[in-house]
Amino acid sequence: MKTTNKLYLIALVLISFTILSCDSEDPVPENDGELITDVTLTFQEIDVNGDEVGEPFDFTASDTEGIEIGSTPEIETVMLAKGKTYQMSISVYNSVAGEDITEEISEESDEHQFYFLGSAFVGTPILTYEYDDEGGINLGLKGIVKVDQSPTLNNANMQILLRHALDKSYPGATNPTFTDYAQAGGESDLDITFPVVIE
Amino acid sequence: MNLKTGILLTLILLFGFKANAQNCNFSIRGKIVHLENNEPIEAAYVWVVEAEEGAVSDQNGNFTVKNLCSGTYTITIQYLGHKDIRDIVKIESNTFSKTYRLEDEAMELSGVEIHGHRDAVQTTTAVSSLYGENLLESRGENLGESLKRISGVSTFSTGNSIAKPVIHGMHSNRIMIMNNGIRLEGQQWGAEHAPEIDPFLADEITVIKGAETVRYGPEAMGGVILVNPAPLPTKKTSKTNLNFVGGTNGRMGNLNLAHVGGSDKIKGLGYRIQGSAKRSGNVKSPGYFQENTGVNELNLSTSLGYSSTKLGIEAYYSLFHSELGILKDSHTGNLSDLKDIIENGRPFADGEFSYDIVNPKQRVTHHLAKLKSHYHISESWKLNFQYGFQLNHRQEFDKRRGNLNKKASLDLELYTNTIDLYVNHTHKNELSGTWGISLIQQANTNVPGTGVTPLIPNYDMVNAGLYAMEKFSKGPLEVEAGVRYDFRNVSTARYINQELRTSDLAYQNLSAFIGGLYHISPDLTFNSNLGSAWRSPNVNELFSEGLHHGAAAVEIGDPDLESEKSLKWINELQYDGQKTHLEFTAYLNPIRDYIYLNPTGETYVSLRGTFNVYEYVQANAFFYGFDFAGSYQFTTKINGYLKGSIVQAKNIDNDSYFPFIPSNRMDWGVSYDFAKASDSRTNKITLSNVLVARQNREPDFDIAPAPPAYALFNLAYQKQLTLGENKLNLGLQVQNLFNTSYKDYMNRFRYFTYDMGRNVLLKINYEF
Repeated sequence: MKTTNKLYLIALVLISFTILSCDSEDPVPENDGELITDVTLTFQEIDVNGDEVGEPFDFTASDTEGIEIGSTPEIETVMLAKGKTYQMSISVYNSVAGEDITEEISEESDEHQFYFLGSAFVGTPILTYEYDDEGGINLGLKGIVKVDQSPTLNNANMQILLRHALDKSYPGATNPTFTDYAQAGGESDLDITFPVVIE
Repeated sequence: MNLKTGILLTLILLFGFKANAQNCNFSIRGKIVHLENNEPIEAAYVWVVEAEEGAVSDQNGNFTVKNLCSGTYTITIQYLGHKDIRDIVKIESNTFSKTYRLEDEAMELSGVEIHGHRDAVQTTTAVSSLYGENLLESRGENLGESLKRISGVSTFSTGNSIAKPVIHGMHSNRIMIMNNGIRLEGQQWGAEHAPEIDPFLADEITVIKGAETVRYGPEAMGGVILVNPAPLPTKKTSKTNLNFVGGTNGRMGNLNLAHVGGSDKIKGLGYRIQGSAKRSGNVKSPGYFQENTGVNELNLSTSLGYSSTKLGIEAYYSLFHSELGILKDSHTGNLSDLKDIIENGRPFADGEFSYDIVNPKQRVTHHLAKLKSHYHISESWKLNFQYGFQLNHRQEFDKRRGNLNKKASLDLELYTNTIDLYVNHTHKNELSGTWGISLIQQANTNVPGTGVTPLIPNYDMVNAGLYAMEKFSKGPLEVEAGVRYDFRNVSTARYINQELRTSDLAYQNLSAFIGGLYHISPDLTFNSNLGSAWRSPNVNELFSEGLHHGAAAVEIGDPDLESEKSLKWINELQYDGQKTHLEFTAYLNPIRDYIYLNPTGETYVSLRGTFNVYEYVQANAFFYGFDFAGSYQFTTKINGYLKGSIVQAKNIDNDSYFPFIPSNRMDWGVSYDFAKASDSRTNKITLSNVLVARQNREPDFDIAPAPPAYALFNLAYQKQLTLGENKLNLGLQVQNLFNTSYKDYMNRFRYFTYDMGRNVLLKINYEF
């Protein structure tokens, strides 16, 4: 093979490589849109007529770091009084993307549902829960929590589960304390256990 | 049978076939190949002048002239369109054997056809192919499923539509898939990332089971899969091939149309165009539908080629586009969800049939373009140049909230340029070889706007390789050796928590192989190959940091991982008799610093719930095992076959097993031929039985135990009809005849569901 031929080939290889080679783009930071960093439970005491009594108060669970190994969420203890009835509303927030997820859950109420489990709701329940969402749907962003007059225990757990893409018409799924929620399909978007203390 | 007995058997067979010599009982053995590409020549005529004895070479180019006394003989070899060879040989013992290379004289004789160029696999290692009738039977299946027909190959799958081929326990980045000569570069690291290739473009699919890093580059550690179209026509012709496959399960329809043509005006100009479309809906397991398991696929390939005596040019383009649904129930929110469904063993709902594909789903588009050229510098030297461009765009959609549902949560664009420049030489003096350089340049970008911190960073990779290999053939013996040096540079960049993280990594390695092939007798061949291989850690193994929804796991990479180094020794004994065909392969494959995903035993707790934590670690591994395949013709009507494989994969460091290694499996069947002896057209029925053992070599940790053993029965009827000059092939198959409920250890969705139930398929192929 002639040297000129060789040179021509090498040049061809180099040229084609320079023209056709492309670099990766510079990375762009992403805000995790799916992340839930703060969950707030707001309690408003109500009387037998459903009228508000006193000021609302709230308890939060937060996990600012998102997916990071080693960190655990900070969860406040829910303090409620014997024999009282509260309206409990849940708000869900993503502080990384600065988004209020409550609204999204409300918009997709046909795909979401909160379940309330844990020791506070079993046996002779300390707490009872009823859905009280606007439009009479079973969602759980708003609900009525009644504290027993003479609770057998003064502390318990309240597990709050947010199920996504479940079959809401599955038999039993309308029960807010449905322990076989998994049977209705779907997945958990939230699974937090709050300690509850009754005063 | 364990490995020791396997080796012993090999040795017994080896020595048992040694022939003894007597005065007038000598024979001349040889092999006839094309000078320019070493392909065997079938039906060349051999004449021993003095003895007035002749022979015709078989399909492997081999011939034998028997019953010769000692003395000097003149051998003439003739083959149409090739220069005659006249050789004078002295026969004194029975060991005489020689390879003859015939030179093409096509262009000197006007009107004689030029044969199409096709680079056969020039390796001494174990090779198995899927072609002809077997390939026809596999039509409609994806690449992974089709390859299961080859012993030693199984699949690592995610549901029914995603199947990655596994060779001797290795998959993903440890094997290589070549689409018409170009190494397929997708996001092959992911367990749920199926190879982006349409099996309909192939006329032959070949599996090389040895370590072939020298020839094909790093990562060809466990083996290579070659998906090759037929060579382009070089004379005037026009052929169209139509395939239709319909299946009851998933109500699948698959259509393929291919047309090849050759030019009349310009000699040596040919083209091919091929396209296929596939649609299937929710798959049915015994008793229920798997929701959201549909597939939509649209593929296209085309090539144009020109070949003359000196020059050959081929341009090729292929497009693969697929959208596939991921089983609804496999997307779990947290560990508690995962445990619930594992305990249930199947989806909670019975589901219903639908073609709709919703989130979670994948959408993948893969473009591949190549330009290949060769030039015969002289009689024995050939220069080759090949350039390949690939763009892989992968989007994965998760079940999310609101507008995020429309956005992909993984959106990757991968550009790959490959350049290969090499020379082949073939000499009459029995030496042939290849020397070359190979360059790979790759750029990976996360398309912004997913709303998810990317699982892997953006990166640029450059790999340069320099290699040389030589083969010496003398009669029944072929010896081959090669060496390769590679240099690789990877630079990555990504944001984690608004913080830019970059890294620059360099790897280099030397790999080598030595192999040999010996024709013990015309129908018995033994080959052995020892090859080293390496693989640099993949970006996901280095930098993963995130949640894997299907596995309810947080996966963490390690930027300090080192390259894997492997040594594979593979031996194969092949017997091709009148009625019997036998193939026996045994291998030993130690790997230093084998990278795998190991459960840490820790959990990660978030507001979403609890997750298992896995991290990428390295350990010394030892893979070994064997495959066998055999068939026997009981009568002219009845044929039987048997094949199977055993793989062992031990973690030597802590004396345990690696996860997702195929369990022992076997496949046997009997076929009955209805056709008359005078009729060459297929007309037969085959009953086959697949037996898969429980994986008892389980790793210490798995989220669910290995599923029990299972047995499946399949029935297939194949008939060929002739309509005028055209051929019509009809096939009717019933897979999983008894609608058996089963789970396969190698299917990641065994946690969530049983496998597919009965499927009745109709396969029509018409050539006109």
